[in-house]
Amino acid sequence: MTTQSIICTQGLTLYYGETRALKDITMRVSDRNVTALIGPSGCGKSTLIRCFNRMNDLVDACRIEGSVDLHGKDIYGNGTDPVEIRRRIGMVFQKPNPFPKSIYENVAYGPRVHGITDRARLDRIVEESLRKAALWDEVKERLSHPAMSLSGGQQQRLCIARTLAVEPEVILMDEPCSALDPIATAKIEALIGELKRQYCVIIVTHNMQQASRVSDCCGFMYLGEMIEFGETAQIFESPEKELTENYITGRFG
Amino acid sequence: MTDKFHAEMAEMQKRVLEMGFFAEGMLRDAVEALMTQDVALAGDVKGRKGALSSQNDLLEEEVYRMIALYQPVARDMRAVACALKVIASAERIGRYGKDIANVVIATTDARANDLASGLSIPHMAGLVLSMIDDSLRAYETGDLQYIRHHSERDDVVDALRHTIFREGITYMMEEPRTITRCMNYLMVARYLERCADHSCKIAEKVHYMVTGERIEIK
Repeated sequence: MTTQSIICTQGLTLYYGETRALKDITMRVSDRNVTALIGPSGCGKSTLIRCFNRMNDLVDACRIEGSVDLHGKDIYGNGTDPVEIRRRIGMVFQKPNPFPKSIYENVAYGPRVHGITDRARLDRIVEESLRKAALWDEVKERLSHPAMSLSGGQQQRLCIARTLAVEPEVILMDEPCSALDPIATAKIEALIGELKRQYCVIIVTHNMQQASRVSDCCGFMYLGEMIEFGETAQIFESPEKELTENYITGRFG
Repeated sequence: MTDKFHAEMAEMQKRVLEMGFFAEGMLRDAVEALMTQDVALAGDVKGRKGALSSQNDLLEEEVYRMIALYQPVARDMRAVACALKVIASAERIGRYGKDIANVVIATTDARANDLASGLSIPHMAGLVLSMIDDSLRAYETGDLQYIRHHSERDDVVDALRHTIFREGITYMMEEPRTITRCMNYLMVARYLERCADHSCKIAEKVHYMVTGERIEIK
């Protein structure tokens, strides 16, 4: 892996009340790369990526130890603005969640919030974002139509476009294809391959074939710990840890 | 991966092993036929070629089916890949057995057993057969102890081929009428050496299956 690290965690531990959901996680995520997190339900994958854009701040009784650095700066440090962090680190969720607005407004929403009002500039951002999300050709004739009129796969790509519109550096995806059919899934996977040219993509997936198809690096988590983190090809050919091997070959989980 | 996959995989490994021993049996009987100039046994070995091929075809198909249906990874993937390579080597070993049987049929002569025994062929064949046997045992059990000394054993086999070559030349110079027969026996030594190489190939793949590490046994 020659690319530079963009996110580094050091001894990251997270508690929900008394429960320790993440245990001492130290990892480096490379830029211009796809990193996949796999592991059985409840192992802490989603909790971990939610740490990366401070989504866990919204959970009561959530406490964090250790650090998460974005370009060397602790995102939990004093004076860090969570809203700014969430702009730089965008997120796409399991279920497509477009706003009940038009296609155009969904994408323009973020830039507007960040103070862009010039119509021509917004038009440009919307087109560019939709193109990057491989959706432009399918919707360019009906930008004013409600986002809810799109298919599930299109809605998910719209959510990706909405994320791209605010020019993030990292895109977090929490099981982005689990509600989609195989064709829509293939489109999202192809899109992920395109996105990594410009962005760092971190994807949580239950689908191990998906992890092996789309990612460059892969982390296997179990009971809140990062058991193994390495190159995807190596993890799926000959993992170092017995536990990883047992999980990816379906012997448990 | 599901229990169904693991059950099918265990069944396939059993059949791969059966094919391996079937091929080893062809080689063993061909050497036996050579030593005893038993043309009937040689004919019998020759007749097993069809069964060997069809086992190979069926198992190859089975490997592709497993990949298509289950997309195995990690040790499961390595086991499937290993099966494919083991059957390819086993088929070659069986076919060399058939080639040796052909030599027996082409050169049958009551005096010949003296010549074959005079060369170091029986000794070499014994070493090669035990290497193949140990490779297959390693495949069966996953115990790498069986193949620990394969490299050194292969060196001994290679040296024996050169010995047989020199022995053959001595016989041929002493008695030109033995030239045809000796040339055939030199071919037999070559076949045996190739069989040892295939046993090393099997050993390499078993090592990969068990450890995930690719090695080269020279």
